[in-house]
Amino acid sequence: MYGNLTLRPEDIENWGKKVQDEDPEKLAAFEARIERGEKIEPHDWMPYEYRRQLIRLIEQHAHSEIIGALPEGTWITRAPNFRRKLALMAKVQDEVGHAQLLYSAAETLGKSREAMINDLLSGKSKYSNVFNYPAKTWADTAIIAWLIDAGAIINQTTNSKGSYGPYGRALERICWEESFHLKYGYDSVVYLATGTAKQRSMLQDALNRWWRPIMHFFGPPDTVSVHTEKLVQWKIKLATNDEMRQQFLDMYVPKIWELGLTIPDPELRKDPETGRWVYSDPNWEEFWQVINGNGPCNAERLAVRRFAEEKGRWVRQALLQPNARYVTPLA
Amino acid sequence: MIEALESLVLSLADDELIMGHRLAEWIGLGPILEEDIAFASIAQDETGHAQAYYQLLTDLGLETPDRYAFHRPAERFRCAHLVELPNFDYDYGLALVRHFLYDAAEQVRLQALRAGSYDPLAGLAERLLREEKYHWMHATTWLRQLGRSTEEAHLRLRSAMQQLWPYAWMLFEPLPHEEEMVEAGWIPPSTQLRERWLELITPLLREVELEQPEPSAESLLPLQGARAGLRSPYFDALLSELTEVAASEPDAEW
Amino acid sequence: MASLDPRVQRAEPTLWELPDRPLEALEHWPTYEVFVQRTRGAHAQHVGSLHAPTPEMALVLAKEQYARRSQCVALWVVPTEAILWTSAEEEDLFQPATDKSYREPQGYLQSRQRIEQYRDRLKPATS
Repeated sequence: MYGNLTLRPEDIENWGKKVQDEDPEKLAAFEARIERGEKIEPHDWMPYEYRRQLIRLIEQHAHSEIIGALPEGTWITRAPNFRRKLALMAKVQDEVGHAQLLYSAAETLGKSREAMINDLLSGKSKYSNVFNYPAKTWADTAIIAWLIDAGAIINQTTNSKGSYGPYGRALERICWEESFHLKYGYDSVVYLATGTAKQRSMLQDALNRWWRPIMHFFGPPDTVSVHTEKLVQWKIKLATNDEMRQQFLDMYVPKIWELGLTIPDPELRKDPETGRWVYSDPNWEEFWQVINGNGPCNAERLAVRRFAEEKGRWVRQALLQPNARYVTPLA
Repeated sequence: MIEALESLVLSLADDELIMGHRLAEWIGLGPILEEDIAFASIAQDETGHAQAYYQLLTDLGLETPDRYAFHRPAERFRCAHLVELPNFDYDYGLALVRHFLYDAAEQVRLQALRAGSYDPLAGLAERLLREEKYHWMHATTWLRQLGRSTEEAHLRLRSAMQQLWPYAWMLFEPLPHEEEMVEAGWIPPSTQLRERWLELITPLLREVELEQPEPSAESLLPLQGARAGLRSPYFDALLSELTEVAASEPDAEW
Repeated sequence: MASLDPRVQRAEPTLWELPDRPLEALEHWPTYEVFVQRTRGAHAQHVGSLHAPTPEMALVLAKEQYARRSQCVALWVVPTEAILWTSAEEEDLFQPATDKSYREPQGYLQSRQRIEQYRDRLKPATS
């Protein structure tokens, strides 16, 4: 009747277990619960595949936050005035904080933070591709804070309606904090767009550099995306990649145009008949190249992360108490 | 009078600005996520304190905080060399010891200013002490726990203490125009502040066996003159980084 | 490609030469659950978890992760392993099987009606 969850050996053994091998009665009750709009909590029965997919999803999200702290971190020591310096520190701090929340949410499913970080560093586990591109100038940080965070908010707001309680709770707080990022990013972009000729051209260059990664941000087109019927039914995936991409274009292309900036895609337009945005192929081959480790910054990002873990090791080991025992957090 | 005031406020503000800058270098690179977040808050606080100090001068018709921080030549800075030191090879022991020694000094200075006769500074000190309470809790908890942990940790803290001790001592190098400040009742003499600082830090340093003897005159000699404008060898690189974007288009708004 | 981040450039002498040593179990410390009291008089509320080596450090670290923006007057931390909970299978524990309206205010809505009925009965039978 009372219990403390530590993942049982059979849970790990059965991770690959197919959905059709699940106890049909338990599976039906689980799916009915989700169908009714109820949340799943860490100690509920859940199909192994649900657990596995969620760990994969939340873990990747956590990695994206901690790696995402690096491109913008590039400009922390060079921010041009007090307001921007303070805001950038706070924003990058938030990304680290989001990683903390998300790792905790994933831990509730039975994978330790150490195991997740090891999988990140070995390349076994992925993170958002967009962070494998460099932030070349101050304007890049403005574009990231505005448009990448805008994309992240669309993605996260969608996911926050998902079925897993701890992930939803983490995402609610994350979206609330990211609304500051978005405002800060937009404000920075507006200052550049309404500034000197040099500032405007910095901004345009940054947009040119980031447009393709932004188009990649929501993932490959639905036509090639893997079959996700079960993930939709289990409310792990709540919108398709193309739906989110269209929503982003709808919300932000007019705002970009309003600033007199040129989006580097001559094909980009909204089709009045379908109401959908049309754009040229953003080079999906490059997307796969970067995912597979060949982007401009993949090696550096992982090296820096490994560096931070390695430099912190003696500190963590010094304070580890001999009687310490790991139990899965409740998040 | 205004020279004395600028000398005092710039020494306080520049310490905070450069300390905040060095602390911020850790954001995203800390030893564990939770500490990364805590240290990033302290970095923001110190930077915010700098801005608030410069604002006191702005209110007197002098330059704006952004002009002071981002558009001032190196020789007009008045920070102590302790805060200019780089993070070298990112040894967190060094970062924590500097944070401890510095925030102890800040606390002592703020308490003195709060009791001082210059109202704008006294009022500001009252406010800043609120954030300083957390910095102190953070620094002492870390030092107490790490100082009593493993041999490796203790060795690292010890070598950090030995390296930083003369620099920390010189946080209390007398300021230019100090007599005037003391006479006006703004702040007690630096030597007296140093005594209070030693009283504050010694019990804990003794507890974790990191107490240091008074630094030798030779070790202090190369560190003299910071408050009068002599910068350490590390400062130029720091300043050109800090001002890189601002200087790239000096009249622009960002 | 050399890093564009001056902070990383300063790490570069050792950055690329670090050994590939996986983290060990518990290297990121055990976890604590964090509770925040938003205003005086309110209940403390669970807001999430945190990795820390000792209760004192958990408090110090919780302050910035869980109370740096939102209003807070007090923080609690509890080792996760000290917490017990009812299991999901026992959720029906909380579902009553019989009418429990006798212990709810809504179970006592008939008094007025009863008084009216009594008054009606007292009224003289003839007018």
